[in-house]
Amino acid sequence: MMKKLLRMSKITKSFYGVRVLDGVDFDLDAGEVHVLLGENGAGKSTLMKILSGAYTLDSGSITLMGKELDPGTHDPRSAEDAGIVSVYQNFHLVPHLSVAENLSLGRFTRTRGFISWKAVQAHAEEVLARASFDIDPKARVQGLSVSKKQMLEIAVALSKNAKVLIMDEPTAALSRAETAILFRTIAEVKAKGIGIIYISHKLEEVRQVGDRITVLRDGLAVQTLPARDSDVNLIIRLMIGKGVSRTRVERDRTRGESCFSAEGLRNRNLPSPLSFSVEKGEILGITGLVGAGKTELARALFGVDLLTGGTLALFGKPVRVDSPAEAVRLGIGYLSEDKDAFGLCLNLGVKENVSLVSLARQRGLFFSIPAERRVATDLVASIGLKIAGVSQQVKYLSGGNKQKVVFGKWLTAKCRVLILDEPTIGIDVGARGEIYSLIRDFAGGGDRAVLFISSDMDEILELSDRILVMTEGRVVAELDPRKTTKEELMQHSTRVNRGDG
Amino acid sequence: MQEVRRREGASAGSGRASGLRGILRNQAISMLAILIIMWVVLAILSPYFFTVDNLFEITLQTAVIAMIGAGMTFVIISGGIDLSVGSVFACSAVLGGLVFTSTRSLTLALLATAVAGALFGAANGLLITILRVPPFIGTLGMMGIARGLALIFVNGVPIYGLERYKFIGQGKLFNVIPVPTVIILVVFALAFVVLNYTRFGRFTYAIGSNAEASRLSGIKVRRVQIGIYVICGLVTGLASTVEAGRLAIVQPAGGNGYELLAIGAVIIGGASTFGGEGSIVATLIGAIIVTTIRNGLNILGVNAFWQYVVNGLVIIGAVAADQFRRRR
Repeated sequence: MMKKLLRMSKITKSFYGVRVLDGVDFDLDAGEVHVLLGENGAGKSTLMKILSGAYTLDSGSITLMGKELDPGTHDPRSAEDAGIVSVYQNFHLVPHLSVAENLSLGRFTRTRGFISWKAVQAHAEEVLARASFDIDPKARVQGLSVSKKQMLEIAVALSKNAKVLIMDEPTAALSRAETAILFRTIAEVKAKGIGIIYISHKLEEVRQVGDRITVLRDGLAVQTLPARDSDVNLIIRLMIGKGVSRTRVERDRTRGESCFSAEGLRNRNLPSPLSFSVEKGEILGITGLVGAGKTELARALFGVDLLTGGTLALFGKPVRVDSPAEAVRLGIGYLSEDKDAFGLCLNLGVKENVSLVSLARQRGLFFSIPAERRVATDLVASIGLKIAGVSQQVKYLSGGNKQKVVFGKWLTAKCRVLILDEPTIGIDVGARGEIYSLIRDFAGGGDRAVLFISSDMDEILELSDRILVMTEGRVVAELDPRKTTKEELMQHSTRVNRGDG
Repeated sequence: MQEVRRREGASAGSGRASGLRGILRNQAISMLAILIIMWVVLAILSPYFFTVDNLFEITLQTAVIAMIGAGMTFVIISGGIDLSVGSVFACSAVLGGLVFTSTRSLTLALLATAVAGALFGAANGLLITILRVPPFIGTLGMMGIARGLALIFVNGVPIYGLERYKFIGQGKLFNVIPVPTVIILVVFALAFVVLNYTRFGRFTYAIGSNAEASRLSGIKVRRVQIGIYVICGLVTGLASTVEAGRLAIVQPAGGNGYELLAIGAVIIGGASTFGGEGSIVATLIGAIIVTTIRNGLNILGVNAFWQYVVNGLVIIGAVAADQFRRRR
């Protein structure tokens, strides 16, 4: 029997007492593509970060080509030296330099202290020829297409004598044609005896490119099965498990009146016209995988990215949203998944953050500082913020509390349509429940509606009154959460667009 | 278990900083302590230091730097920088001086100076927001333009005979309080109110802390930024009239190196070069420190050229200390 290229056995890892990986076994043959599948939070990234040395394992062992790696000295550098290389999106590349320069980065051939450009060029040609990649060594990296950049990433990895390549969602930013090129590249890499660990959500693609599939769920390796003739429905069932009993809270809601609607929206990120309507009191769930266009839709609705076509209407009246300031004026709020970058002024206090939108909507020169403090204090009590005081700088808050502050700033501004983009990412389970009740309370409070964007299908099913599924920038399904299942959502989300192929 | 940890986290946070106002006050207090130590040391080294004459001299010298520093405080809190203040100082003074020599009206002259300063500020603001030139480069370019214009307008020759300006620079209210002192107090009181009690002031902090989050909160970021640079240009123009009043002349080469002193005053006061932090009171203390260093070096008979070196060192030291504080 052939010796395994890589064997990870009984890998266990906990964060803050929460077990993220629980005795996971995973192995990889030379020249094999082994797919790692699982929902968000199943433990895929953690497992790969342990392999690439970013995290230290709690227990278990990693054996590479029959040699056990010492967990004490295993770090990103030693992992790369041993031949474990991750191919991130343009992570290793310097955009302003040429392909040849990127391939020699950090190891330029020198003659008498000066870089020998001839040698650099020759090295690049050799590496690219060995990998049979069609890239001009003189081209600047920033001018390359996404798939060429990815090839170059792989070439860089190969030039580092990679034995194991980790590819995380490599097709997320690729067109169909580019995906085909990537798959050819992968075949060439395989032929050199290099093992590839391939992470993707796109099930059909995974069955096409993979040799074996291992499904992770809640930190356990559930099953390993051959990729090619596996049943998609079986894989989905393995990924989501028995289906946890959901705690849907049905809310009373009078149906009918439209709160916010869009007709034929399009811009450079949303190639085909997109329409939807949210009623008063409704939570419209929008789901889909990473790269499905959900965030792009949110940004278009909030006036961040400009529309090239389509109309919006608020309470039946047509509106133009050409800037975030205009959206805010109209009473539209936006909560981004990256709260630190887009939601908070980190070195300002809780009350300063909470009042920001209200101040932006006000007129006049002055504002009332006592009123600001009072509103913030009331808010803290009503949304259950755990802070030392309303003047505390938000940078010292936990993820859940930070998100509540962002939520609070839209609540105090009395906005009427709230666009929530992955509001529970990076937030622990306890705080999640609290965010859910905030969302329900908001939607239930009169002439308001929520667009609830999430790739976590459990929470989409739990919270939404209606669900839209997006893939590749378009809405592919509209479903009733009471009548649908996670399997169905996953099938719609993972379906590669068959319409125009 | 989780509950306990969260509460600990919250109290650790509050221990380090109990809000915006808290930090600023602490920063101002520590700077005040440094200032007092400097005064004590200088008083020991030179009996002349603590005379009434010299203290008035320090206030007069402080006035100009403190005023420009007040404008610069807005710019730096918003996360920007204005390198053009020294040249704008000269050019708006020259324009005012020309208006005075042709109209003999002090009011018109002062108005012209203020408007010229504000227009330069507006130009900086437009460069940064509309053309999206980074503040460092945009105001560096304006530094050259304003200096060149100042020299062109008067052919490089100073404007003399501005005796009527003297009241602003040397006059005394009720024969006791120097007019420049009154002007600084008014400027700083206004700046304090704007920064702490108006929407504009709050937006200045918010933009410096996170411009993108501010924009997504509905703040018209560009408009606020333009306003900030206008304020900086305006007070720079006003400051130039104080100096013109002290010397009774206007020099197209004046204000040279004032950007270094004004930025120094703000940074020494504890504003962060990353934006979002700083206070107007701290800038005043910073300006007094900068002036005290100059004055002290003079009194101790140190070659004037060394003042540039010391100022540079002090600014670098203040920013390095800020970075060190952040890393911990």
